[in-house]
Amino acid sequence: MEITLAAMKLVGYGLGAIGPGIGIGIACYGCCVGTARQPELAGRLFTNFILGAALAEALALLGFVLVFIL
Amino acid sequence: MNPLDLVNSLVPELTASFTPTYVFTFGDSGIGVTQYIFWMCITFALTLIVVLACGKHLQLVPTNRFVGMVEQGYGMVRRDMGENPIGHGFEKHIPFLATLFFFILISNFVGLIPGCKTPTGTISVTWCLSLISFVYFNYWGIRAHGGWGYIKHIAPSGLPKVMVPIIWFFEFLSLVLRALTLTVRLYGNMFAGHMALGIFSIFAYAFLWAGIQNGLAGIVTGGMSILWMLLLFAMYALETLVAFLQAYVFAVLSGVYIGLAVAEH
Repeated sequence: MEITLAAMKLVGYGLGAIGPGIGIGIACYGCCVGTARQPELAGRLFTNFILGAALAEALALLGFVLVFIL
Repeated sequence: MNPLDLVNSLVPELTASFTPTYVFTFGDSGIGVTQYIFWMCITFALTLIVVLACGKHLQLVPTNRFVGMVEQGYGMVRRDMGENPIGHGFEKHIPFLATLFFFILISNFVGLIPGCKTPTGTISVTWCLSLISFVYFNYWGIRAHGGWGYIKHIAPSGLPKVMVPIIWFFEFLSLVLRALTLTVRLYGNMFAGHMALGIFSIFAYAFLWAGIQNGLAGIVTGGMSILWMLLLFAMYALETLVAFLQAYVFAVLSGVYIGLAVAEH
């Protein structure tokens, strides 16, 4: 199987998605644990979780864009 | 007959159906309406109908189930996207956030009906939505702090003097990237989800067709298509969740960004 540029782009995007995946997982874990310990803070914790997930996700989304524009 | 060959021959047709093509053009001007914009207009009409029909039957205690549903959604916008992230003075941002939320929600759900296209499945519509949000929160940030004050406000206060330019640069980068990430998150989720649905339905069709062609020996191949069908239903359920979640996330993030822009240190 020959290695094409398109295939390498997909591999690169896959590698780039590892970090944000771990990051969002940790953020979600923290949100769940925090909510279990203090359910009355659930709303604010969830908002902060969404913000943190958005920041981590930005890297994966950059990879997604680069696949298209490179 | 190998079902995978059939899949390979059908995939280009699927990808072609996702590229924007003109449904109709206005004469020879070269300006036309693509299928996404066509469905966007329908979504506009639907959103107006839903919200106006609900607004006509407002009661202190809603007895109508439909009105109760829309009011639930509005209450969620008020609580999750206004009160929690923005805090003091959130009332004036609620109309904007509610419009964003309902428009994106209905356009995501329109795309789930077979045969319809989701307007948010094209990057031009999501660029517009995220630019509106970007301009809006910067405008309110500048109104709250003044032009120079807003530029200084990008870096958090209380930093050592040496660190300020470096932190300011990174915060500025993340501020500019907000427009891009809002765009690509919505577009990527909707586009990839619908692509996955299409691929699964092609698989179900190809395995069934190959099974029929092979006669009695094709029972196993044809039976596989039931599995693909079940997977398609599971994916459809997931897509329904994603359609709601992405509208929610878009509106919550707009609220959070407005909250960050207008926050007092």
